[in-house]
Amino acid sequence: MSVLVQAPPEVNPLQDPLRFERRVPPCAIVIFGASGDLSKRKLLPSLYRLFYERRISPDFAVIGSSRTPMSDDQFRERMKESVSKFLEEAPFDEDVWKSFAQCLFYVPGDLNVPSSYDDIRSKLAEVEKSHRTADNVLFYLSTQPSHYAEAILELGAHQLNTGKGWRRVIIEKPFGHDLQSARKLNDEIHKVFDESAIYRIDHYLGKETVQNILAFRFGNGIFEPLWNRRYVDHIQITAAESIGVEGRGGYYQEAGALRDMIQNHLSQVMATVMMEPPTVFDATNVRDERAKLLRAVRVMKHEDVPKYAVAGQYGPALVGGQQVPGFRQEPSVDPDSQTETYAAVTFFIDNWRWAGTPVYIRTGKRMPKRVTDIAIQFKAPPLGLFQQETKTGLREVRPNLLVLRIQPEEGISLRFLSKSPGSGMRLRPVSMDFNYGSSFGERSPTAYETLLLDAMIGDPTLYTRQDMVEASWQIVQPILDVWANSKFYFPNYPAGSWGPKAADDMLAQQGHVWRIP
Amino acid sequence: MSSAVIFPAQPEQILKGLGKLWTSLGQEEKQQGKPTVLRACAMTLIVATDEPDGGFSASQTIAELMREHPSRGIVLAVSPEAEHELEARVLAQCWKPFGKAQQICCEQIEITARPDSWPNVGPTLVGLIAADLPVIFWCRHKTALDTSATEDQKAGLQAVIRLANKVVIDTQGLPAAAALQMLSALRAKGRTVADLEWTRLTKWRQPIAQIFDNPARQTPYSQFRAIEIAHTGDQLPSCAAYAGAWFSAPYKANVSFVKVDGYGPGLHRIALRAKSEEIVFERTGSDCMRLYSTNGQQRSYTYEERMDTGLMTEELAILGSDPAFETAFARAVELLHDQD
Repeated sequence: MSVLVQAPPEVNPLQDPLRFERRVPPCAIVIFGASGDLSKRKLLPSLYRLFYERRISPDFAVIGSSRTPMSDDQFRERMKESVSKFLEEAPFDEDVWKSFAQCLFYVPGDLNVPSSYDDIRSKLAEVEKSHRTADNVLFYLSTQPSHYAEAILELGAHQLNTGKGWRRVIIEKPFGHDLQSARKLNDEIHKVFDESAIYRIDHYLGKETVQNILAFRFGNGIFEPLWNRRYVDHIQITAAESIGVEGRGGYYQEAGALRDMIQNHLSQVMATVMMEPPTVFDATNVRDERAKLLRAVRVMKHEDVPKYAVAGQYGPALVGGQQVPGFRQEPSVDPDSQTETYAAVTFFIDNWRWAGTPVYIRTGKRMPKRVTDIAIQFKAPPLGLFQQETKTGLREVRPNLLVLRIQPEEGISLRFLSKSPGSGMRLRPVSMDFNYGSSFGERSPTAYETLLLDAMIGDPTLYTRQDMVEASWQIVQPILDVWANSKFYFPNYPAGSWGPKAADDMLAQQGHVWRIP
Repeated sequence: MSSAVIFPAQPEQILKGLGKLWTSLGQEEKQQGKPTVLRACAMTLIVATDEPDGGFSASQTIAELMREHPSRGIVLAVSPEAEHELEARVLAQCWKPFGKAQQICCEQIEITARPDSWPNVGPTLVGLIAADLPVIFWCRHKTALDTSATEDQKAGLQAVIRLANKVVIDTQGLPAAAALQMLSALRAKGRTVADLEWTRLTKWRQPIAQIFDNPARQTPYSQFRAIEIAHTGDQLPSCAAYAGAWFSAPYKANVSFVKVDGYGPGLHRIALRAKSEEIVFERTGSDCMRLYSTNGQQRSYTYEERMDTGLMTEELAILGSDPAFETAFARAVELLHDQD
């Protein structure tokens, strides 16, 4: 009996990982919703930038698809306009564009019409030959969330979920609008794609500084021993925006701050800051630990929601000499809207490391400035030998604060007390700063560049997994339930302020105050 | 950039000068009541130069490098007109990131030696190395590297090399045989040695390597049995030797070097030949390159002569050993030996 053994594919002997960018396999990217805002502002500019920096394989193609009838050339022309307009911190090069444009194709079609998928299959076969994409296909769902399940089921029905190469699908947020709908959507997607092929994107996790949290915690030996309930007094996570809903009033009215930010971005950031160290730095272990942390978050009882969660909505105000409308005055917003534009929540993590340490998360629109950071407030020394000099006199304080700044000045600062020069033991706080952008002068890739590359490479570490999504819905679900049945007296904070007084009261009951970032 | 006066290069005085410099920068902070200066240092970068500008261009390059590799920069220059046997001045190289209020500053020491005092720079440097951080020595002192260097020049160079974890040289313009000999001598001292001629090759190597990332391609790399390297200039440059070595190393392919009147200096074309396919990457103009295959694939690239800053930025990111360069170097020695 003879046994046929297929030789493994040759490993590229010309690779030089110290100098070359990460290896990206050839592939075709099919973008559903290609004429939409996300494609124009983020996806195509990111792909062009990766191409410009030669970080993607030369054997590569993009197939855009949407209902708008267009030829390949018209699609290329439109995308050229968008890329040159929305390219961040990078020059637009006409010659590079010409090469890039040769990799762009367009298939007009409607997600509801089965023949559209046949057209995509034909185009994929065509680019596999012309661009040697090795039949690897990455589908990107940049459509209305209500179309996700339908589009994926059609991909399955047209056998676009299998082939000689790999098949992966990236799904944008929101992933469901509550726990039940998220579970249902997961069930539908799993009929077509295995979990390992599903990439649920949360662009916050692709931000360089969020990734740096892992490097900071697990690459250094000095912080992790302090990273627990014994030394940490509490944690504050802030994601503030100075702008309002900017033309997204219709969408935002349905979503609200809790769904838009806390359920996804900020709960993932919390998990990254507070998770246990993975045993190995790989996708499975990192995501296991994130999921474990989210499962350890205490799920509020309905009666506790008023104590631990605060909703707010901005009202009109004079900001910087200009009259700013309230949320209810924004276009496409119901004048009696009950949607929160601000949310603050106290979470407790019921595990050995964090039991009893409150985590305060707040997010809002029309705040005094745009800032996202995580502040770890350490406990005061056990004996107060010194008093700190402050503007209002001398007092004892909790001096040590570690701030992980995500945007806009990405970096890390550690505040500690130091003796003021001169006679007498007078102390004042000083800050030790690491500034990410200035210490590494090179341009950081945007979150979408990072995440698109990861998906092409097949590294899901920075993508959310089914259990993570469901766990994060689980922790906000009681709040959603209670708020849905509450009557709020909105607006309760003026535009340009740090939120409603109730949020201050929420912290005051634990003996804490919000930082001013 | 702030600067101070020139004084005799005693380590203690230099360190005192640095202390004063930071105190004066701190004064500004005190006046403004907020942090205005951030001090950054990730390594000691020593640059020795015998260029006639007295280290000016080396200083400029360090200032550009600090954005990605903040360091304590030490520029060693030689000048018969120096006031003292060894003299120094200290300064801070500062830059303000766009839109930020705080300046990032690195300290820099410039030491100028009279030619006969060159051997004394090593002992002076010992006290000036930033503690607990890597020391990189970028030798732009061509005379001291040359085989015809005087004993004093050699001794001065050796004293600096002894302090360094990594030594960077540039063999551009040297014949490959002389370049490899120079590198072999430095490697024999047990130091990690880098050659910027190898660094220049990254822009050639990466696009070709990417072609073979596709496991589905019909002609695998093992079938490319002939490598042709075309170069400009009369003598084989070290970059051509490295290119031939790197592309032939995995399967010991045959290498031929040809001299052409192409775009230069240095490498003009790399051709990889299999029975069923030929892949060519060549310069097609002063600012463009083309990568094509006989199977119909083609891609154009912009060609830019890489500046020292870009080359050093890449090199400073690799502080340990560089296995790809080790492989190419060993194979280049073999190839030149075979050619003899």
